[in-house]
Amino acid sequence: MTLDAPTVVDPDVDETVETAKPWVVIVWNDPVNLMSYVVFVFQKLFGYSKEKATKLMLDVHHKGKAVVSSGNREKAEIDVSRLHAHGLWATMQRD
Amino acid sequence: MGRAPFRRNRSDGFDVVLEAGEAAVLTRLCEELTTLLSGDDDEPQSDPVLERLFPRAYLDPTEEEAESDWQRLAHEDLVDGRRRALATVEGTLAGAEVRRGRFELTLSEEQALAWLAVFNDARLALGTRLEVTEDLDLSGLDPDDPDTAPFAVYWWLGVLEERLIDVLSAR
Repeated sequence: MTLDAPTVVDPDVDETVETAKPWVVIVWNDPVNLMSYVVFVFQKLFGYSKEKATKLMLDVHHKGKAVVSSGNREKAEIDVSRLHAHGLWATMQRD
Repeated sequence: MGRAPFRRNRSDGFDVVLEAGEAAVLTRLCEELTTLLSGDDDEPQSDPVLERLFPRAYLDPTEEEAESDWQRLAHEDLVDGRRRALATVEGTLAGAEVRRGRFELTLSEEQALAWLAVFNDARLALGTRLEVTEDLDLSGLDPDDPDTAPFAVYWWLGVLEERLIDVLSAR
């Protein structure tokens, strides 16, 4: 994979994340972040269990992306900012 | 690096032991990242490292206005957060006790998280500059290649980061 911005706009939605919300936050795969670090950040930021954080990390790794949170526009923007603060490559879009 | 560079101590802090050379490399990386972050904000972000550290929130080009609004709200905080983490690493390193050529210091959990953030940012910066891929293989590197030293630093940072995550995750 490359660091070019992807054009895919139809992510696989993780069924374990509540998605009946207008905006979703997506984390994209990148070749630098350690798998253990991504799991650590998902747990720290979203309070997810180790199992759920690991499943999301593996989705990012194998499928290239995963929906990690959802909500209104403001919440999604905050979650994107927190993920960027931790060096994860996150974007948001309408569900 | 057979020893443990990080250990959780009995008072919920983290004891750190680094070789003097490691401390020197870490200090230099902090200086380089600080310089990178203090670039003129009026300059367009054409540096791939800055683009990686500060990605867009919206991919949809019709959300350009929302993207600008979000950048205006979030960007400065994101830069400040990174600067604070760098200052924490530099400050705690400067306060280390040097014993037999080793830097010894103790971090609070908050400080340890700043170290983790700096390790990760430094890896993102180096990895982007070096255009690393997921199947990174260091075995074929030529010692005379100018990228060999930064690749070694990149690898070393990954080992340190992994060890720090281990102790931060262990309860």
